[in-house]
Amino acid sequence: MSDNNKNLLVHMNGISKSFYGNKVNTDVEFKLQKGEIHALLGENGAGKTTLMNMLTGVYFPDEGDIYFKGEKITFDFPGKALQFGIGMVHQRFSLVGNLTVLENLILGHPDNKFVINIPEKKKLIKTYMDQFNFQLDLNAIVGDLPIGVRQKVEILKMLVREVDVLIVDEPTTVLTKQEADNLMQILKNIADTGKGIIFITHKMSEVFQIADKITVLRKGIKISTVNKKDTNPRELAKMMVGKENELTFEKPVVDLKPNIVRIQNLFVNSNKGVLAVNDLTFDVAGGEVIGIAGVSGNGQIELADALTGNRDVIRGKVLFKGKDISNDPPVKRIDEGISYVPGDRINVGVAGNRSVWENIIMKVYRLPKFRKGLLLNNVKLKEYAEKIIKQYNIFLPGINLPALLLSGGNLQKLIIGREIERDCDLYIYVYPTRGLDVGATEFVRKAILQLRNEGKAVILISGDFDEIFGLSDRIAVMYEGKFTGVFKNGEHSLEEIGLMMSGCTEEEAVKEMSNV
Amino acid sequence: MFKIKLEQKERVSKREELIITLSAIGIAFVLAGIFIALNGVNPFLALWKVVTSSLGSSYGISETIVKAIPLIFTGLAVGIALNSKLWNIGAEGQLFFGATFATAFVIYGPVLSKPLELTVLIILGAVGGALWALIPALLKIKFKMNEVISTLLLNYVAINIADYFLFGPWKGKDNFPYTPEFPPEAKFSRIGFGRVHAGLILALVLVVLLYIIIYHTKLGYKLRITGSSLRAAKYAGININKIMFLVFLLSGALAGLAGVSQVCGIEYKLHQHISTGYGYSGIIVAWLARTNPYIIVIFAVFLSILLKGADSLQIAMHLPAAVGVVMQALILFAILGSELFKTYNVKLIRRK
Repeated sequence: MSDNNKNLLVHMNGISKSFYGNKVNTDVEFKLQKGEIHALLGENGAGKTTLMNMLTGVYFPDEGDIYFKGEKITFDFPGKALQFGIGMVHQRFSLVGNLTVLENLILGHPDNKFVINIPEKKKLIKTYMDQFNFQLDLNAIVGDLPIGVRQKVEILKMLVREVDVLIVDEPTTVLTKQEADNLMQILKNIADTGKGIIFITHKMSEVFQIADKITVLRKGIKISTVNKKDTNPRELAKMMVGKENELTFEKPVVDLKPNIVRIQNLFVNSNKGVLAVNDLTFDVAGGEVIGIAGVSGNGQIELADALTGNRDVIRGKVLFKGKDISNDPPVKRIDEGISYVPGDRINVGVAGNRSVWENIIMKVYRLPKFRKGLLLNNVKLKEYAEKIIKQYNIFLPGINLPALLLSGGNLQKLIIGREIERDCDLYIYVYPTRGLDVGATEFVRKAILQLRNEGKAVILISGDFDEIFGLSDRIAVMYEGKFTGVFKNGEHSLEEIGLMMSGCTEEEAVKEMSNV
Repeated sequence: MFKIKLEQKERVSKREELIITLSAIGIAFVLAGIFIALNGVNPFLALWKVVTSSLGSSYGISETIVKAIPLIFTGLAVGIALNSKLWNIGAEGQLFFGATFATAFVIYGPVLSKPLELTVLIILGAVGGALWALIPALLKIKFKMNEVISTLLLNYVAINIADYFLFGPWKGKDNFPYTPEFPPEAKFSRIGFGRVHAGLILALVLVVLLYIIIYHTKLGYKLRITGSSLRAAKYAGININKIMFLVFLLSGALAGLAGVSQVCGIEYKLHQHISTGYGYSGIIVAWLARTNPYIIVIFAVFLSILLKGADSLQIAMHLPAAVGVVMQALILFAILGSELFKTYNVKLIRRK
């Protein structure tokens, strides 16, 4: 062990982990001191949760060691982490809805005997509540409580189990502003008693509100660990999104066909029933790519789903080629000429355990030319699939084998080939190059640009700045369901966009940058 | 001490899958053998008896086919639902409801010419089964109720409805709970091989028809995609509620036909024992056959060999009647257990 000081609680050293050959964490080092609130900052998919799952014994690292209070630890079973004193509050709570708060706190406690002395436990729990200044009704049924309170119960549950390290995974996503502030105060109280807190987040504002130290992860690699007082949002934004070699693409001037899509005061809910798209108004012309940048989870997916009919429009209108399509089912929008390349390739883009050819014909099988009387002309459909495989250079083990056997890049080629061949007027791409290698990435980006050059309207939702800068004609920055800025590509720097992604308006971002 | 470690498999080949399934059936036979040995009977002798009694004589073969007919119908019923990942545990109830529906026409309706009468009965049986499946379909689509529970529980309701008629208005002359014998116009013709009746032809026609529907029509394509991934199906523009609804009705109709085939083909009346759990055995058939209609026929015959054989064991070797049920249950357990080996590499590790 390098610095063997008494205050070091956790030391993760050289941690690597991969799933199905994709590296999720690469040689990550992470240290947590007593009394410290340590923010783990990074985009979705940066490997934050995976890293913490290894600290709690859910996954085993492929390489590297974990030290807790100076001793090397391994986990025989998932409950072991709690025995060591490492507790995690997950994004999905692990409470029993129809039990009371008290019962939830007692349930599964290691000190429980066969007969549980409830009044005694209650007294004990009260001491914890006083110590950390919790206000909770112990007799309330958990299922009746608002989410913010349930989260407090979850945290208290960890404290009652005497954890030394508390990990909270994106705790504020489901909270109101007030609840979030309250949570921050509680976490500070806990840290003041000498416990270490790891705060997983992708929100810049929270980092500055609460953290002592910040570790930034990007694509599974630790970029840096910094003290809060030594850094600023601009620097962190840059670390978070990164900037690699820019691919430059030819972008010839194209005659715009205005108003292919007009979105007017659009409101859309998320799966949780929370407003995800909040009063958006914008339009897209044929021959332009509008890049929608933003930290994921700010309503981008819901926007794409609403435009393609996969999610209900709560209020507002979607006009496509002048026609109101807000209430049309997906099949009608497919026929009208809207193409959608979803972010979740495996689960949405293809029916994974159906064959490659069945997946290629997904949007054309209804056409009259593939009919043979009452039946489908499977021979012709397979020929069509073969044609696309050849044309888009899709490498596959067999046309009759399940689509999920394709590599990520080839799967995306399949989806993109399928969509381009349909000749639509609007193409919506969601995270189109996520997880792809360089070659496939270039193929996808060229394909998108080709569509633009042919006069199609393209909406590109991406978290990758190379992609946004390389392909977009206009950029819109999305934050909590609204656009914090819509501008021509090149008008704002990466740092300014980073600030808009964390909630600043265009003016604020520019002002902040000019202060430096 | 050993501990078991599971590791997700990336893929499993058709060959590997077949080997796993056959091993599972093998293990089920071994376990059944132990059960039989515990009852004081030589299991090898019992196995020989099963094979000879069901396949050793033309009588045995014809009786095996008679038992296979309802299994083909219920296998298809469960299988078509399984194709779009819906679990119809209610084939037994749909079978009874279909049979009750058809019987009602025999009792209250006019006697028509034989072809017309049988056509009406077949249609009514299918409609009855479909109506009974309509309830879980609506519950699932409107209220997201789990179809496993609703279809299972409705079995008891359907059987009790049949009982109501059997103990009430349709009670036989001698006060026993069965209807009077059907008129000749309402009986399926025999095809000249023991008790094997025209229901077999209907079943085989449906096998081919369903194969064509599943693999050669737009509906079948939608069904396959929906069965693979609801989200992908929705994305592809498929109205998944409509598909689920249709599949439920089709599944119920097929199970209803099993009921018609039993009352018009074999029993010639409605009574409480027109099915010896064919609706439940259909689940095993469909699961073994992996939803392909042609393979459903093979496994329907396989299971009917066991059922027929178990009957003989009961008579010839004085084994308890439960032996058939036990064997079916063991096969289902083994098959379900073998799923683990299809998705995971299972390793034994010595603990330090």
